[in-house]
Amino acid sequence: MLNLRDESATAGTGFVRGEDKRGAVRLQRETVSAIGVYLVCILALFLSKFINPEFGSFHQLQTILTLASFLIVVSYGQGLTVLIGGLDLSIPSVITVGGVLAAAWVSTLSPAGFWWQIPAVLIVCSLIGVVNGLGVTLLRIPPFIMTLASGIIVYSICLGATGGTPSGAAPNSLSTLMAGRIGGVPIVNVFVVIFCAIAIFMQSRTSFGQRLYAMGSNATAAKIAGMRINAITVCTYALSSALAGFAGMMLVGYSNGATLRMGDSYLLPSIAAVVIGGSSILGGRGTFVGTIGGAILLTIFDMVITSLGLAQGWRTMISGGLILAAILLQHEGALDWIRSVGRRRN
Amino acid sequence: MSTAIGTRSSSARGLLTNGLTTVVILYVVLYVVYSRMEAGALTASAFGDLVNNSIPLAIAAAGATFVILLGGFDLSVAGVLSLVNVVLATHPMDGAGGALMSVVIAISIGAAVGLCNGIFVAYGGLQSIAVTLAMMILTRGLALVVLDAPGGSVSDWISDTLTNSLWGVVPASGLVALAVAALWAIFRRTNTGVALYAVGKDQTAAALSGINVKRTKCIAFVLAGALYGLAGFMLSAQTASGDPNAGSTLLLLVFASVALGGTAFTGGQGGLYGSMIGAATLMLLQKVLFSSGVQSFYIGLFQGFVMVVAVIFVNVITYVARRNREHA
Repeated sequence: MLNLRDESATAGTGFVRGEDKRGAVRLQRETVSAIGVYLVCILALFLSKFINPEFGSFHQLQTILTLASFLIVVSYGQGLTVLIGGLDLSIPSVITVGGVLAAAWVSTLSPAGFWWQIPAVLIVCSLIGVVNGLGVTLLRIPPFIMTLASGIIVYSICLGATGGTPSGAAPNSLSTLMAGRIGGVPIVNVFVVIFCAIAIFMQSRTSFGQRLYAMGSNATAAKIAGMRINAITVCTYALSSALAGFAGMMLVGYSNGATLRMGDSYLLPSIAAVVIGGSSILGGRGTFVGTIGGAILLTIFDMVITSLGLAQGWRTMISGGLILAAILLQHEGALDWIRSVGRRRN
Repeated sequence: MSTAIGTRSSSARGLLTNGLTTVVILYVVLYVVYSRMEAGALTASAFGDLVNNSIPLAIAAAGATFVILLGGFDLSVAGVLSLVNVVLATHPMDGAGGALMSVVIAISIGAAVGLCNGIFVAYGGLQSIAVTLAMMILTRGLALVVLDAPGGSVSDWISDTLTNSLWGVVPASGLVALAVAALWAIFRRTNTGVALYAVGKDQTAAALSGINVKRTKCIAFVLAGALYGLAGFMLSAQTASGDPNAGSTLLLLVFASVALGGTAFTGGQGGLYGSMIGAATLMLLQKVLFSSGVQSFYIGLFQGFVMVVAVIFVNVITYVARRNREHA
């Protein structure tokens, strides 16, 4: 597992590292990151047993996966935009749009909600992403600014349109998704596993995914190679928004109603999950497997810290410290150290 | 992506292509609109209020500019503002001496957080957005530990003096902003100031030409942190009370101000004056919208549009200027 290639030749020049390495070496670096995250996850679960014996049980694992499902879905979109060298700050607002529209439009009883209205909400959400993508590509607005601005705009439209209090309740299809069970396992867990499988396949095994890596590593080179950079960028942002909208719908199904601030607590964790999962914020490097690990890790942290019964301030501080520790573990120096240990053993 | 700003050639650096000029024009236009709507807008007291409102955001945006010039992000601004605010509200020190002591404490808190960021980013080689995200959460938590609910009160001397006008004309808080601007004017001409731009433009080239990249980065984070501390001090003077979430609402506005001020998020281009005036413009925009009777719901809508339009405007003008130059 740790029999990895030596890369110490570039060790002296910190700023060139990781830029010009493709194929096998890149994947190995990412594999190590991902393995690291999952090891920390297992460690965290193990240690949490000392705090509360309930932790680590099968039921507990189901709960963790259910709570992490929102973040996993959102982080996939965030991860894709980060992969092409962008960032999506409009995610919390789009979550709110998805939630508010799902509660208001999707009928509670008829099955039409599932076949027509849910896709309609997703299309509305992805349009926000299309606007983001067009702003980034055609108008050459930095992604940070474009998505920040569109997020503020969309949020304030939401606020104005609902008058501050969104109406409606969770449609049946969504509450079934979030609360129903199949053969003793929550439906949402099955859904998330299928979602992850498709997402990993798309990012790592399809030509669309490979194009995202190519664009993130070097947009100019990708363009010269004949890729339709603009179209790919617009698609990526649209996908990110659609996923955020879907996460909003999941939240509505989970809590049986929409609130205007429901998306707020997902922006920073979505970035944190991507970074902890070993992606470079500069683009071109990272796997969704790692991001899933990051999302699960953040959720475990959250649950453990909550169960400690500390005051809000201490809880927040501990979670900040844990994120910092996770980032430090992801650091290339730490990874190199793990590798060198692996080499010595062989 | 966003290469129009990033690769702007140095030859196209005319007055018009400057983001600073754009934002100044925008501010003046908005002020004219404001003076049409509000009868008292041209009086010294109205202007003083406006300056007082804008100063915390302006100084915080000035700090963020240091890191953005490096091509990095600093999210810790929200945490530092909150932390300084609650510390000043729970430990009020009266009198001019107390105020001086408070400023020193505020700036030290900010600089200490900045130093942590700087060490992790510059010497640890970690991604700035990740490190500062963690630091933001840490400092926010610390703020909640110091004061777990809004309350406390800032010393009267600070909240009175710094919201007042000197000789009835010059707002005292404006002088603080001017001092920051003056220090920047000096810093910009020091070796570190030049190095900051060089590192932001091209790290490899900067390192090869003998610039100590790590040291430059670290200094930028520390200075940014110190300014957040000062911004937190000014914010406390305005609100006169403590709120552990005081900084959170300003986080996005800080980045909006920097963008509006024409500083490129790719690094190496822009400056501190633009960010400060950008902040003032955002606050003025709020006033204009309020006085024009727009529902408070929709203020975000306008702020978002102004941000996007400002960036597009700078892009278009840069493009036109470059074409003219190439054809000439």
